[in-house]
Amino acid sequence: MSTLVVIDSAPYGDWTGREALDMAFSLAAFDQPVTLLFLGAGVNWLRKGQAPEGISQKSVEKNLSAAPIFGVEGLLADGRDCEAYGLAEADLIAGVTRVDVGSDLLHQYTHTVFAG
Amino acid sequence: MASIHTLHILNKSPDHPRFQRCLTALGPEDALMLIENGVLATTTAGRLATVSGQIYALSPDLEARGLQVDDSTFVPVDYEGMVRLTTEAGQVISW
Repeated sequence: MSTLVVIDSAPYGDWTGREALDMAFSLAAFDQPVTLLFLGAGVNWLRKGQAPEGISQKSVEKNLSAAPIFGVEGLLADGRDCEAYGLAEADLIAGVTRVDVGSDLLHQYTHTVFAG
Repeated sequence: MASIHTLHILNKSPDHPRFQRCLTALGPEDALMLIENGVLATTTAGRLATVSGQIYALSPDLEARGLQVDDSTFVPVDYEGMVRLTTEAGQVISW
């Protein structure tokens, strides 16, 4: 009974991605197996060096890099989208696995839910 | 009805980024269910040419938008038919 939470909206522009993160961490807190998948503009959540104090928001970088400690099983990102947004291995926060998103990936999870 | 591995329910209009994402995630034994704005994809069959599995469309959404579909490509179903599909599928993903 594993859940894949998919985030495909850009960070900080609206609350959609942040709400999905909260949902994923809540699932993990209740020991439900959960994995996060970032697609499209959502891969920008995974860039190192986020400092959103100037727009009075909190950075999610710390939570994301501590995801395994919170019980989130994986941080996946679409490899092509990472390339499209100029995110090489060195630009990504620690613990991100780049994947090819297709039917075989989705079939591994009991539930797939989307942010917004 | 052949059993369906994964039923993909798509309510996004064709120009929404998640529309194309759904098509690329469709496996050979999967089926696609177009609802709400998703039924707009029935207007140009070419858009769904790459889909190998069965494509269903929710008739109330088609009728609401004045769309007629040719039954050879799309299978119109009512709400009951949609519920039946979700019971036949091993997995359901709402995009």
